[in-house]
Amino acid sequence: MTPNIDPIIHIDEELCTGCRRCAAVCPVDAIIGEAGTPQKIDAHRCVVCGQCVQTCAAYAAESEPALTSRAEKLRQRGQLSSVREPLFAAYSTGHALELKEALADPKRYKVVQCAPVIRVSLAEEFGLPFGTLTPGKMAAALRLLNFDRVYDTNFGADVTIMEEGSELIGRVMSGERLPMFTSCCPAWVKHAETAAPHVLDHLSSCKSPMQMVGALVKTYSAELDGVAPADILSVAVMPCTCKKFEAGRDEMNVDGLREVDMVITTRELAQLIKDKGIDFMNLPDEPFDSPLGKYSGAGTIFGATGGVMEAAIRTGYELVTHESIPNLQLDFIRGDEGIRTATVQIGDLELKVAIVAGLKYVSSILEQVSDGTCPYHFIEVMACPEGCVSGGGQPKLLLETQRKAAYQARKSSIYRHDSNQKVRKSHENPAIIKLYKDFLGEPLGHTSHHLLHTKFFSRSVKGELK
Amino acid sequence: MKKEQPNSFVIAEAGKCIGCKACELACFAVHNRDNGVAAAVGTVTTPVIPRLYVIRTDSFTMPVQCRHCENAPCAGVCPVQAIVQEEGAITIDEDRCIGCKACAIACPFGAISLYKAYSNGQEHKQPYLRERLDGRLERKTRVIAYKCDLCHDITNSGNIASGEIAAAAAVNNSGTPSEGGGEPMPACVSVCPEQALKLVSQSLGASRSRKAAGLRL
Repeated sequence: MTPNIDPIIHIDEELCTGCRRCAAVCPVDAIIGEAGTPQKIDAHRCVVCGQCVQTCAAYAAESEPALTSRAEKLRQRGQLSSVREPLFAAYSTGHALELKEALADPKRYKVVQCAPVIRVSLAEEFGLPFGTLTPGKMAAALRLLNFDRVYDTNFGADVTIMEEGSELIGRVMSGERLPMFTSCCPAWVKHAETAAPHVLDHLSSCKSPMQMVGALVKTYSAELDGVAPADILSVAVMPCTCKKFEAGRDEMNVDGLREVDMVITTRELAQLIKDKGIDFMNLPDEPFDSPLGKYSGAGTIFGATGGVMEAAIRTGYELVTHESIPNLQLDFIRGDEGIRTATVQIGDLELKVAIVAGLKYVSSILEQVSDGTCPYHFIEVMACPEGCVSGGGQPKLLLETQRKAAYQARKSSIYRHDSNQKVRKSHENPAIIKLYKDFLGEPLGHTSHHLLHTKFFSRSVKGELK
Repeated sequence: MKKEQPNSFVIAEAGKCIGCKACELACFAVHNRDNGVAAAVGTVTTPVIPRLYVIRTDSFTMPVQCRHCENAPCAGVCPVQAIVQEEGAITIDEDRCIGCKACAIACPFGAISLYKAYSNGQEHKQPYLRERLDGRLERKTRVIAYKCDLCHDITNSGNIASGEIAAAAAVNNSGTPSEGGGEPMPACVSVCPEQALKLVSQSLGASRSRKAAGLRL
């Protein structure tokens, strides 16, 4: 299963030209080497965001046969032998090969969840335009890959809002451990643990939506389906290479069982679909399974920068004021790379919020927290440039000049998907209401704490960090 | 008499090139739409065959490609007249090419390479010539000459809107890139993260050379 000792991000020394474009996009200066020579990754400092994987253009050319055969490179990278795309110097450890074998095991009960942005980017791997929305084809393809249950990380996003929103309200009312940072992005969490352990008390104790779904798959859903949790293979399809690292963290288990056994990226899902010979373009739309496949519009916007904040405000406003939020589309929260700030009037409370899109922008806020001058109550941090739409496991572009257009189209598609949902607030999702009524009890309750919350640990090495 | 304009060409500054190969990848991407290549790397099912090549020595790296010679020696040696002068560029008719390699030998820049031909993402098989593979006679894949065509058909087919070809960077009279609208740029020029590549068009190259010579006096 997903190893937690693998550094996940690698640079192939045979292919690296030493151009250092990867070093230029790395938000934590984890790529080391002289120009013109193969680069190395400082695994301690690396946050596994995969932006180097997205940027690298040094490919194995036909005219310069690599020392190692393509077949052997694919095997070393954990990729399927049927993969035909070029191989680049920077890559992430693959799990498609391992998953293909696991899916053929009739003894396992195979459950999959998909992050919000997979449905707006997967089609690009089949040649469709940027941002083409394909949740129904994706669900159909996953069933053809032999999954028994097709669930949705969006459901976990809705649970996150219930837990994290309640936590925020509690902290704001008590004035304790403010500002509160989001904890959905594993690359941000790893960075905080490595470079800024003094802020760990400020992180929400919530697990990410992926881990929440994983925990519920092996408890709530297992109980509903009458399946032994130990027989379940819990798989997640993510836009993010760091989710592979997160799933392997020791503490991400429920009663001794891993919450998420295996993580594959958007690109790896496309490779599995092609490997199986599935005609993705002509698949009929199919629904996700219940109950962990029912989601609100708030859950779906987690995939774009500001999405967690917007979803939290939609619910937080109503939990605090007991009134309907006047406008569901919070344009002042939406945007691109960088830092955005806003003040939101919630009843008598002036909630000050900040959104950090791109980990390289977080240092100024960390300094403010250190010296006690940070004016915000709630801060969303996403390590990738524009949130998960720009994740390291998303479809890799051949042309750098198309990057902005791709991110914009994926975001637009997410917001369009949200606006077309009947339910657009997490606390109004009927499946969420039922989950709390039948299983969890209340947000921040005993069961929630056991399954959905965690602790973060300092990874700081004295004297190592600049 | 019509005034003859020299052909345009793309040239790189070795001092700026970092050897990232983004130009090679972009070149391949825009020339292989017919082979199913879309925006994502995952749509690539053929080997990456660019029409320019990043070369490396101990002291520098830079892409090398066709100079679109005015008296193109490649055209002179082509036995089937597959190489022609066309709207300011020297181009190869890949359907006509017989893969004889004469052009690659004649080229003083090493700008021409021979690789397998692909159509619809599959190797393009010959109608007659066969080779023995695993004890069986199979139709041999066509091999053809590839070289820079200045993205001629691509820039003319309106791909600026898709972001494949940038129009913003034009080369001004001093030979340096200028902001604002200009003629469509070949893909390699528009993607270079270091702006190491330039499209030298018409008489600008000579003008720049004269200025440079003047400055050295």
